[in-house]
Amino acid sequence: MATITTANFKKGNFIEFRNEPNQIVDFQFVNPGKGSAFVRAKLKSLKTGKVIEFTYKSGETVEELPILTREMQYLYKEGDSYVFMDNFSYEQFNISEGLLEGFIKYLKPNDTYQVLVYGEDAVGVRFPKKVWLTVTEADEGVKGNTASGATKTVVVETGAVITVPLFIKEGDKIGIDPETGAYLERG
Amino acid sequence: MGCIITMTTWQKLHADPQLWQRYVIREHVLHAIREFFDRQDFHEVETPLLIANPPAESYLDVFETKLLDRNRNGKHAYLSTSPEVPLKKLMVAGLGNCYALTKSFRNMEMQSSLHNPEFTILEWYRVGADYKEIMSDCESLLLYIREYIVKKQKKPGDTSPTLTYQNTVVDLSAPWEKLTMVEAFKKWAGIDFVQFLEMEKAKEIAVKKGYTVSADTSWEELYNQIFLNEVEPHLGRGKPTILYEFPGSMAALARRKQSDPRFAERFEFYIEGLELGDCYSELTDWREQQSRFENELKELKRSGKTMYDYDHDFIEALKIGLPDCSGIAIGVDRLVMLFADVKTIQETLLFPANELFENA
Repeated sequence: MATITTANFKKGNFIEFRNEPNQIVDFQFVNPGKGSAFVRAKLKSLKTGKVIEFTYKSGETVEELPILTREMQYLYKEGDSYVFMDNFSYEQFNISEGLLEGFIKYLKPNDTYQVLVYGEDAVGVRFPKKVWLTVTEADEGVKGNTASGATKTVVVETGAVITVPLFIKEGDKIGIDPETGAYLERG
Repeated sequence: MGCIITMTTWQKLHADPQLWQRYVIREHVLHAIREFFDRQDFHEVETPLLIANPPAESYLDVFETKLLDRNRNGKHAYLSTSPEVPLKKLMVAGLGNCYALTKSFRNMEMQSSLHNPEFTILEWYRVGADYKEIMSDCESLLLYIREYIVKKQKKPGDTSPTLTYQNTVVDLSAPWEKLTMVEAFKKWAGIDFVQFLEMEKAKEIAVKKGYTVSADTSWEELYNQIFLNEVEPHLGRGKPTILYEFPGSMAALARRKQSDPRFAERFEFYIEGLELGDCYSELTDWREQQSRFENELKELKRSGKTMYDYDHDFIEALKIGLPDCSGIAIGVDRLVMLFADVKTIQETLLFPANELFENA
C-alpha cells in the first residue's frame, strides 16, 4: 500500500479508514479559526456503502488502497446489487447499489464498463467521460420559443432524465457526462 | 463540456429569473440588520478596508498589496481581515454602542463551500455589557431578520418563529440551547474537558479514540480534531446552540473569566452545524493585548505566513482605556445561506470568487 497525505486527496481515491476500505466521495479544507488547518472528508465504506464524515489534521497520512480496473460487461440487477462479468475470465461480480449510486441510471445491460476491483471484490465503476444513450421519451420543443439556450427534459433508455436543447427528438442518441448528468452532444 | 457547468451567476440569472429570489433574501438580511441596530440607536461606522497594520492573528492569511506615492515608492498595505480594531479605537474615543456591516478579506480560503476570500461581516459592540447580553442580541437579531423577510415576502400568516434549512425546521425562539465547552465535550464526545486541558491527558484520550498522535501534534490540533469530528456536527440541530466558555488558550481577544481563569468569556453560535458568530467579553488590558500580539507575530513567522507589524496605535488606544464592552463578529453570507436555504456560500454571492478566479 502507498502512503499519501491529505494534500494528495482526490475525489474518488480509495483509502483505508479504521482498517476498512473506503472511497473519498468529497472533501474540503476547514480552518476552525485558531491555528492549524483540517481536511473534512466524506468517506464511503466499500463494505456497507454507508457515507460518514471524518476530519483529518492537515498533512495527516493515510494508506491508499491498490485498486485495479477490469473490463466487465453489465448483465442484470439482482436484488440490491448489480451483476457484472469479466470479459476475459467470465468471472461474475456483484456490486452493491450503494457503491454505484449516481451511475445506476446510466447502466445499460451488455455494455462494457471499467470496473474497479479491490482484492476479491468489485467496488465500483470508473465513470466514463461520456455515455451514449438513446432518447425514449421527448416532447416536441415548444413552438416559437427560439431563445438561445432554451432547454427541455427528455428520458433516455436507462430511465435517466436529462436536460437537453430543444432540437433533440425521440430516437436520437445523445452523449451524457455521467459525473454531472449534463448533455454533451448528439450522435 | 456541458455549458451548464461553466455558466456564471449572472448568466444563470439571465436564463432563470426565479433564481433572483435568493439574492433578494441577501438584500432583506442587510436591510433588517441595519434597521435592528438603528432602532436601538447604535452608530453605524465605516471602517477602512485598506490598512497599514492588521491585528496580529497567526491563523489568518492576509492579502498584501502596495500603496504607491507619485514616484512609485511603495509602502506595504493590507486588506482588512475584520473591522474590530478600528471599532475599538472609536469606542476609546467615546462613540458608544456601534456596529460595522462591511467587507473583510482572508486569503487561502478558496476551496471551501463555507468561505469566500472576500466576505461580508457584521460586528457590533455594546458598552458596559458582557458576553451574556450579546447572546440575547443574537437571539433577537435572528428573529428580527426572520420577521423582516416574512413582511417583505407578504406572508402575514407566517408567525411561527422558525426557518427551514435543507428540509429541517429550526426553531429560532429564545432562549437558545446554551452549552459550555465542558458540557458539550461531555455530552457529545464523552470527554472530561477539564482533564483534557492537560496535554498528556489529551494525547491519551485522543489515542484511545483512534486519532493519529505524533510528536509534533499540538494540543490545539487534538482539541479541534475531536471538536470537528464529534461535537460540531451536533450543534444547532433544530434549535440554535450557543457554545460558551472557551479554553483560555483559545481566548484570542477575549477576557478570561475572573472566577476560573482556565476559561475565557467567549462564545460561538451554531445553526444546523454552521458556525455563524464569535463573541468575546473584550480584553481591555493593553499589556496582555500587546504580549498576545507579539506571540502571534512569532507564530506568523514560524508558520511562514505573510509578515507584517501589528497595529501599535491600537495598543496606544488601549492605554487610554477601552470601556468594558462586549462584541461579536457574524458571517453575514452564512446568515444569507440559512435564510435563502442554500448549501454553499457561493450560491449567496452574485460574483463568487471561484467564478472570478476560475481555475484558482
